[in-house]
Amino acid sequence: MDELLKDFLTETTEHIEGAETQLVHFERNPTDASLITSIFRLVHTIKGTSSFLGLERLERVGHAAESVMGMLRDGVPPTQHSVSIILAAIDRIKTIIEEIGQNGCEPPGDDSEIINALEAYYAAGSEAAEAAAAAEASAKVAAPAPSEEPPSVQAELTPSAPVATAPQPAQPAPAVPASTKESAKAPESNSGSQAKAQGGSTANQESIRVSVDTIERMMQLVSELVLSRNQLLELARHREDDAIKTPLQHLSTLTSDLQDAVMRARMQPVGRLYANLPRLVRELSTSLGKSIDLVTEGADTELDRQLIEVIRDPLTHLIRNCADHGIERPEERLAAGKPERGEIRVSAAHEAGQITIDIAEDGKGLDTERIKKKILAQGLATEQDLRAMSNEEIYRFIFEPGFSTAQVVSNVSGRGVGMDVVRSNIEAIGGSVSLSSIEGKGSRFSLRIPLTLAIAPALIIEVAGQRFALPQTSVVEAVSLGKNYKELIQDVQNALVLKLREEVIPAVELRSVVGLGGNEDHESEKLAVVMRVGTDSFCIIVDGVADIQEIVVKPLSASLAHLKVFSGHTILGDGSVVLILDPSGLAASLGIEKSTEKKRAEVRDQNALERRRLVMFKAGSGAPKVLPLSLVSRIEMVETSRIESSDGRLMVLLQGRLMPIVPISHEIDMSQPSYPVLVVATDTHAIGLMADEIVDILEEKLEIQLASANSELVGSAEIRGEAVELIDVSHFIRLAADPGRSAATPQRILFAADDQLVRDMLCPALSAAGYNLVAAPIPADVNELMSQIATFDAVILDADAPRLSTPDVLRALKERKDANRIPAIGLSKNPTPRATRIATESGMAALVSKHDRHALLETLAYALDAAADAKAMSMELAA
Amino acid sequence: MSSMSAAVAVSALSDVPTAGEESYFTVFAGGEAFGLSVLHTQTIFRITSVTPIPLGPADIVGLVNLRGKIVTAVSLRRRLGIPVDEVQNSLAIGIEHKGENFALIVDEVGDVLTLDASMKVQIPAHFDPARSRFMAGLYKVGNLLIPALNIGALFDFTS
Repeated sequence: MDELLKDFLTETTEHIEGAETQLVHFERNPTDASLITSIFRLVHTIKGTSSFLGLERLERVGHAAESVMGMLRDGVPPTQHSVSIILAAIDRIKTIIEEIGQNGCEPPGDDSEIINALEAYYAAGSEAAEAAAAAEASAKVAAPAPSEEPPSVQAELTPSAPVATAPQPAQPAPAVPASTKESAKAPESNSGSQAKAQGGSTANQESIRVSVDTIERMMQLVSELVLSRNQLLELARHREDDAIKTPLQHLSTLTSDLQDAVMRARMQPVGRLYANLPRLVRELSTSLGKSIDLVTEGADTELDRQLIEVIRDPLTHLIRNCADHGIERPEERLAAGKPERGEIRVSAAHEAGQITIDIAEDGKGLDTERIKKKILAQGLATEQDLRAMSNEEIYRFIFEPGFSTAQVVSNVSGRGVGMDVVRSNIEAIGGSVSLSSIEGKGSRFSLRIPLTLAIAPALIIEVAGQRFALPQTSVVEAVSLGKNYKELIQDVQNALVLKLREEVIPAVELRSVVGLGGNEDHESEKLAVVMRVGTDSFCIIVDGVADIQEIVVKPLSASLAHLKVFSGHTILGDGSVVLILDPSGLAASLGIEKSTEKKRAEVRDQNALERRRLVMFKAGSGAPKVLPLSLVSRIEMVETSRIESSDGRLMVLLQGRLMPIVPISHEIDMSQPSYPVLVVATDTHAIGLMADEIVDILEEKLEIQLASANSELVGSAEIRGEAVELIDVSHFIRLAADPGRSAATPQRILFAADDQLVRDMLCPALSAAGYNLVAAPIPADVNELMSQIATFDAVILDADAPRLSTPDVLRALKERKDANRIPAIGLSKNPTPRATRIATESGMAALVSKHDRHALLETLAYALDAAADAKAMSMELAA
Repeated sequence: MSSMSAAVAVSALSDVPTAGEESYFTVFAGGEAFGLSVLHTQTIFRITSVTPIPLGPADIVGLVNLRGKIVTAVSLRRRLGIPVDEVQNSLAIGIEHKGENFALIVDEVGDVLTLDASMKVQIPAHFDPARSRFMAGLYKVGNLLIPALNIGALFDFTS
């Protein structure tokens, strides 16, 4: 291809991306004449050069676009239509240029539609603009063209894109329209950008254009240099020759520096990713009928150029998602008391060896309830699961394949494809994506991405005498198996599992995955390397870890690309070639095909649950029953002969007091000589629960898996592989309750805790104490919480719930006007003095340990007394 | 045989392409001679260490570090179904094919031949297809019949 043509193509391609951005900015800020001036100049250059090179299509489209842009430049305010047709023209110019790049000549085609649209607009507009134009023409003559106009305002807008690296062909500096109306504004809007623009232009003068191939070649050479250096160092280590050591040391440092410098040359600013975004957001706003502003930050953050390309699609998708699902329509925003225009903020930053890119939006946030409904509808989790999950855990389902909450499938997003692709793309490069959201305030996606793909730290592991590299990014830990092999690794149903701190992790012998040799018996040396891919953990058993090295990752050649357990190969410092294991390929070979968020949530929940001491007993037929031992004050063997029946109720005289007895099952028929009785004590009295037989007292985690409709039961759980039923003590307390007690007007107490077990443990004691109790999870909405509180006499809050430590809830509690009349008591697993101070500062009457029922009852009674006093006082004052 | 002189011959001959003629190395595997087009060959070297590829195609011996470049080593013997005894220190020819770097392991490298389309004969139908698929043609050289190797088939592991 002609050199001239080539230069024209590369230059135009670069500039045209900037032009799109500028045009969209111009639509927003029609007073900033410098924007349209520079695009006009660009299109003018394209038109001129095309005609010189004989590119007729480009010339014609360029000409028509130039006329319309000329109108804009001369002060005709931009409209959505005019900007759209210019963008269409720029698109066409881009396509033609692309094809010229491929074929070396202009492709045949018809642009009359675009040209007609532009010409029609021009014809319609020129009439109206005629008068103004005439006036301006004289103004132009009067005001000489400011020749010192900084040539690279472009640099200010897309500071990162290498705009204007080569000097433009000499153009007469276009006149800045100096209509009297604008003259007051123009200087001040320019003055801010002036400094930056000049900074940009100096940077431009110092940069040259280097082809990617050259950089790649340099990278290769440097990699080879590093290897030779390592070989030399290895040789020198075995020799007592000091003469060579100093220069070799020097060579070594220089090589490292050179490697670093070349790596840096491969880096590109994230701003390259930003270049297309203004236009994307503009198009989204138009098609969705929303007003959206785009704010980009950290454009100069640098990232390996390979990664830039990988991130492009996920980023686009996330922005579509924000615009479509997040930002509300203008009228909704105004109704919610927000500014009419929504904002999408994309910010990039370098953080601890990683790049984080945040995409935040100030829209309505995620609708947790709708997501929950969807999760249930798709059967991804049960209601019980959901109740135990935090909002963050629920949001993770959005990244599940096929998950979309859009009620109406729009053409922008909402087909349920995409979010899972976003996650898998980001994870494929060793990154991660997370999501946080506040209802009504907006949501934020965070991408964490490694700086480069080319060099990665890796564990060099050994199996059956062969070495492999394992990327460290997916390694969680390495567990030495040693003599405990048999204990840690168990063969269950012909599959290996690693039992590590209560977790059961799928395990596999690497030698069997890669088909190397049989089992050797020196197991004492073996290690289990625990890895995480996406949300799944698994481990591979290896013979040893030889080293940790920075490796230069090279992709597998085509003839080996089908080997899914390897992702590439590399040359180690000693010159030997090793294969790089692919963590996700390994996971797949274990049958862990798709990660499911649910599994992880479950594992986490189980970890979050504390072990509890439970009494397991039998009562009637059916599954064994359990009760937390903390509810049981003692267990007595009561002879049947001592049980008396009075007024239809069973009683026994124990320690000088009559205690009501309730059989847990109606199948208990007093045929045995004696029965075990679980004595459940409340402050005022005790009741005995009669069982058939005590099975065991054990310490286990208890997770209710099936809630029960039966009022006798809280629900079913699984303990040691057996289904058990957790009985509801409050039900039996009611059965045994003194009819006279319930006559007093009970005080209404709200017990708000997300952890159902906390509710189940403490509510019986409270209802037994005669309070009218409403137990519920903590509402997500702070206003809902506050309005709920207002209808009760007192409220007990689980202070450990993350929702309660959010600033809005703390503030709302603190500013609560009814705090004196309706005391709030916090519950905490660990009520340290500091936690207590925070609780009382936020308006709680006290902070009580979750394990201390007595303290809770006492505090509650005291707080209710105090509140009653305060109420009486205020009434007196009012009177 | 001498690999060095062969390497010199490559540059000398490939500079003078004559219409209809092509230069070939004779390479040996299991006592049989084959022709390998010099246009494909980049270098001839001895393999000092190979990294086997578990689960990889059987005919691929492994990966070799050739001056900082990783090349895929393919054994001509294995390709042709001739038993192999030792890969270590064997002779290999560096060949770039479809952007991939390969090393073809052979027993020996012999003289350079100039083969001409007029010397080409039909590959007899009774040749084992397992072998004939690796042949680009059969040439009559004096009273010898020398098959020319089909690089595309040799380095195709898709099937």
